[in-house]
Amino acid sequence: MQGALWGPAEWRNNMVMSVQRGPKNRLRRAAMWAAMAIIMLLFFLSVYGAFIGPKRAKELFNSTVLGVYWVAFALLLMVGVVLFRRLLRVPALLLVHAGCILILAGAIWGSEAGRSLQKTLLGIDIVPTGQMQIHEGYSDNRVILEDNEIHELPFYIKLKDFRVEYYEPGHLYIQTRQGDTAWELPVEIGAELQLDPGFGAVEILRVFENFRITIDGDNRTAVDEPGTGINAALEVRIKTPDGRVSTRYVFDRSRGHIYPDSPLYMSYERVIRDYVSELQVIRNGRVVAEKDIEVNHPLHFGGYHFYQHSYDAQAAEYTVLMVSPDSGLASVYSGFLVLCIGAFWHFWLKRPPKVAMPQSAQTRSAEPDQEANKWKSNTQSRAY
Amino acid sequence: MEIKYTIQGLLIYITIAAYLLALFVSLLRRPRAGHVLYVLGFVVAVVSFGYRWYHVRHVPMQNLFEVFLGLGMIYPVSVFCRRVLRIGGRSADMLIGAVVLVPAGFFFDAEPQKLPPALQSWLFAPHVAVYMISYVFMAKAASHAIWQLAGRSPIDDENLLPPEEATYKLICIGFPLLTLGLILGSVWGKLAWGDYWGWDPKELWSLASWLVYVGYLHYRYMFGKRHPRVNSVWAIAGVVVIVVTLLWVNLSRLFAGLHSYGAG
Repeated sequence: MQGALWGPAEWRNNMVMSVQRGPKNRLRRAAMWAAMAIIMLLFFLSVYGAFIGPKRAKELFNSTVLGVYWVAFALLLMVGVVLFRRLLRVPALLLVHAGCILILAGAIWGSEAGRSLQKTLLGIDIVPTGQMQIHEGYSDNRVILEDNEIHELPFYIKLKDFRVEYYEPGHLYIQTRQGDTAWELPVEIGAELQLDPGFGAVEILRVFENFRITIDGDNRTAVDEPGTGINAALEVRIKTPDGRVSTRYVFDRSRGHIYPDSPLYMSYERVIRDYVSELQVIRNGRVVAEKDIEVNHPLHFGGYHFYQHSYDAQAAEYTVLMVSPDSGLASVYSGFLVLCIGAFWHFWLKRPPKVAMPQSAQTRSAEPDQEANKWKSNTQSRAY
Repeated sequence: MEIKYTIQGLLIYITIAAYLLALFVSLLRRPRAGHVLYVLGFVVAVVSFGYRWYHVRHVPMQNLFEVFLGLGMIYPVSVFCRRVLRIGGRSADMLIGAVVLVPAGFFFDAEPQKLPPALQSWLFAPHVAVYMISYVFMAKAASHAIWQLAGRSPIDDENLLPPEEATYKLICIGFPLLTLGLILGSVWGKLAWGDYWGWDPKELWSLASWLVYVGYLHYRYMFGKRHPRVNSVWAIAGVVVIVVTLLWVNLSRLFAGLHSYGAG
């Protein structure tokens, strides 16, 4: 690859591959062609993969044929470093290529095939990516894979509590039956909204986290039982223009319900801010780690990451965690860092040596001046 | 297509008008007046972005509407290119600024949305911002590539780089940002979804666009001297793939995946 963002134009323009004759250069040329082919193949595979969806794309890129491709890619990068001495002389460029090698090596090591290899050669048995369903107050160590196979972790995960957090305030959404007019009222006890003439007014009387009805003889009473489930609701008073007053319960869950005698459709709308699972890691009967995990904040323990994946939408009594092993992750992250440092160093910071033209550019042609003029004439002609 | 009768919409339309007027005046060889209008458009674009930020109460980069609103603030890129890199094309920048604001002004839904849990990450703003900046540089690189193919070059007294070299320099600026954007997205994917690579359509298109520029850099190193026009074809192909990555993935049902919430 080329480099040197800052420097004389002639130097930059001539930073192209030396095309000397000889077996070594033929080899370099072949390696470069192979690199171009492998890059373009990955481009087309990526585009194809985008069309077939993530699941099939994952299967494709993890297939045996593509396994060979990934290994060949990593090997070609290593061969490139050996063949092109310039890569060794320009550390930034070396970092870019070394970063790619580290990423590929880590990805191969952490893949399904890599894990099988680890088990066969090193006897390391890693639990593959799967899910755990844990109820509040219980602990479990079973990871269920996609094919329902069950693996056991060498420690237990206990769910102390699970909760869903919402943006405050929620909104009472009101709409006419025809759908031509709509209103929104931020939820607060006592909040009142005067609707258009002909529809009257609404007032929020109570807010329920977990709406329940208790029956005592003929009396039915609405009560709030927070902490035992999710059934958010609002008690709303409606005053019609002719002075009639009625009470209605509006639920978060059953959006779209319309009272037969009402000209208004109402819904209680809340937006989820986060899902939180309070977890403990238990090994040999002792709590060895503890963390409240949420989306973007997984628990890391014993070579595995535990992610908030799903939950009990009916009663919020259990959580579903995704368990993912870290196999190869250190290499991939090191590769990311090295690649990034190399790219910025090479393309943004590197200054070229104080020479007018490198030897490689001069050896390209028997008449370098003529060649350089031709290059210049190709890049400059009429005015902008 | 829908006209936005809101303050946000008005600010977008004023910016578009200022950019187009700046372009028109510049083409009439009134560079100073064109520059003033360009700066005016930029100021309104910043106000528009700030207004949106205030309105939604988070960095406005959640959906295509907000991303394109941000892309409209192209003026600093023009100044950086001219003063630091000696790269011209300010008129093209004015056009790019106006063009990217058209979908924001007429097509994308501007309804404010709360951030879903997956987007509440310290990586959200850097990941999107880095990509946006790199896309602007790559778009500018493509415009210079088109000039190179059209056989045009800067006026001698302006001391600007010829188009092919300008294209290369712009890609040199944009490529590390593109790399960083891809890596930040990958790290974020690991934190949010449990894997640094999910084979999601948007991820694959992002990889495809990165690979086009990797191909460009290798090709230019290998054959660039003999076939400079092909270098430019690579640069244009790169921006085409970027457009697909940015738009099509979000808008088309063909590529439903983890990034679908970004559709504007």
